[in-house]
Amino acid sequence: MLAMSSRAGVETRGPSGGSLAAVRDGGWRAPPSTLVGAASRWRPSRVATVAFLLGLLVTAAFSLTSLWLYDRNENRLLRLRAREVGSVLTAVVPSIQTPLASAAELADATDGDQRRFRAFMAPYVGTGRQFASVSLWRLGSSRLAPTAVVGARPALASLPAQARKFFAHAERSPRLNITGVLTAPRPSLGFEFSTPGTRHGFAVYAENPLPKDRRSGLARDSAFSDLNYALYLGHSRRQADLLVTSLHRFPIRGRHASAVVPFGDSTFTLVVTPNGPLGGRPFASLPWIIVVVGVLISLAAALMTDRLARRRQYAEQLTGVLDRVAAENHQMYTEQRGIAQTLQHALLPDALPEFTGLRVSARYIPAASGIDVGGDWYDVVAADNGRLLLVIGDVSGHGLHSATTMALLRHASLAYAAEECRPATVLAKLSDFVNSDDHDYFATVLCALIDVRAHSLTIASAGHMAPLLIDGERGEYVKTNVNVPIGVTRDFDYQETTVSVPVKSTLVAFTDGLVERRTEILDTGLARLRDTATAGRRLAPDDLVEMLTRDLASKDHNDDTAIVVIQWET
Amino acid sequence: MGDLAGDRAAEVVIDTRTDAAGVPLIAVSGELDTSNVASLEAAIASITAERPERLILDLSGLRFMDSAGISVLIGATAKVEAVYLRNPSPAVRRVIELTGLTGVLPLEPS
Repeated sequence: MLAMSSRAGVETRGPSGGSLAAVRDGGWRAPPSTLVGAASRWRPSRVATVAFLLGLLVTAAFSLTSLWLYDRNENRLLRLRAREVGSVLTAVVPSIQTPLASAAELADATDGDQRRFRAFMAPYVGTGRQFASVSLWRLGSSRLAPTAVVGARPALASLPAQARKFFAHAERSPRLNITGVLTAPRPSLGFEFSTPGTRHGFAVYAENPLPKDRRSGLARDSAFSDLNYALYLGHSRRQADLLVTSLHRFPIRGRHASAVVPFGDSTFTLVVTPNGPLGGRPFASLPWIIVVVGVLISLAAALMTDRLARRRQYAEQLTGVLDRVAAENHQMYTEQRGIAQTLQHALLPDALPEFTGLRVSARYIPAASGIDVGGDWYDVVAADNGRLLLVIGDVSGHGLHSATTMALLRHASLAYAAEECRPATVLAKLSDFVNSDDHDYFATVLCALIDVRAHSLTIASAGHMAPLLIDGERGEYVKTNVNVPIGVTRDFDYQETTVSVPVKSTLVAFTDGLVERRTEILDTGLARLRDTATAGRRLAPDDLVEMLTRDLASKDHNDDTAIVVIQWET
Repeated sequence: MGDLAGDRAAEVVIDTRTDAAGVPLIAVSGELDTSNVASLEAAIASITAERPERLILDLSGLRFMDSAGISVLIGATAKVEAVYLRNPSPAVRRVIELTGLTGVLPLEPS
């Protein structure tokens, strides 16, 4: 843990303080270049492009909808305006018809009295008044000519053929009759009214010249100043029938509306076009406002999306780098742990020899994690006279140093056992062998000499916990003097204890990983081992080892464990 | 990190001072194990450099000690004539007893 935290300290001192820099300083592979440098050439991310296009699409939809609404509204307004103008035109009819009808009545009543006719019509005729010319005609006479004229001489008077045709129709019509557009001698339009039902009666005929080129603008302050118009006689839209217009260009293009207005025996066709937006300027520019604002919003959204996308990409790449580093670390850790465990197992006996009358099982359990080699070991070897020697020990600390010390002690103990197999002697020799001035480490060792036939057990402990001896019923730790560990003092007089072993007993020797827990006193762990092993006393040694490993072996990350189980068959 | 560190972060607090009688004293509290014995080793080294006759190790706050911790305590006995333990908890005392070290690491005489 100390090593790790000091390393973390180095990392946080990376120049930029960024974790990425730290990772690189740590010697890891540099992340993809897109992560580091601002890319040499900026290209919008795909998602940003999509966002922008979506924005444009929505903008276009809104704009087109607004345009369509605008268009529809303008058309509706124009139709309304055309109807209004038509109404105004319709209202003009009586103002023309009434004086003419009255004059016709008067002529009938006075048998065409010219003086009274003139006197009656005079107020209606002249510049700025209703008519340019009004004349009285006697119908049915062979020579068709006005009998009285107020104002200008009527153009119809110089068009006898046209006049005859017109009056032939007019005298049978009880309405206001309208001539076609008279072209000569000047373009004009005539109106006629005759008293219906009177044979050889009088017709009153009024005439107005058409404006020059048929053009007449509308006053700026007129209610219709927002319109241009063209007024045709009849249902026609031909230029020949054009009466008056404010338009310059024909045929009429663009938005226009028309209304047909009955006028006497004929009709007027009114065509109007708007001068500008009828619904107001803001409404007209709304589609464009939407386009501009929409494009701006789309652009902003795209930029923000791009930023987000880049951040996410960065985070993902960073996660990728960190994941890879973690994976590499994990792999290195696994490899080193594998090496450590291989080494550990290499230092321990491959297989235990067979002993008559005994069944033996042993196991080394490495620390639950960590990459260090542990310091626990065991040995069961044949000694003289059918006896066997069990050695189990634990070198303090971990790592290669502990492991080499362990290997040293293991082989030394085997060598001493071959010379003289008394446990106390083996421990004393081991103690002398180890340079006791070098206190980098110490080792606890339990040495046990087992006489199978004599059913006896002689043990000596150098700081090692006594083994558990289970007879048919109960388990007890063998009572013995615990001497100082190996490596503490030289020339120590190691004591040994001999006990007799009941039939079919089981001996369990172990290292502290099996009983030591951080949160409890050792006796608790010892009691737990005693109870567990006693409960499993009928198991074969292999199964008992398996059970103890499963139930009791230290889950502590740092602690390795060795277990040796010896069972008397008789 | 858990797997990588290989162990659980055991915390130990080491306090070096001199007691009322002028004897150097190291108070060790928390959990002492392989991962942090180095700090106790350093504290002992700094005191033994002055070659004191006595050293008191106050273990009253020590909840757990593994074999690496014992190893450091034994190391102290090699450098100082008289090393005494003060107030070890029952758990720590049991570890010392079961390791056969009661003679090597005696309790402070009262």
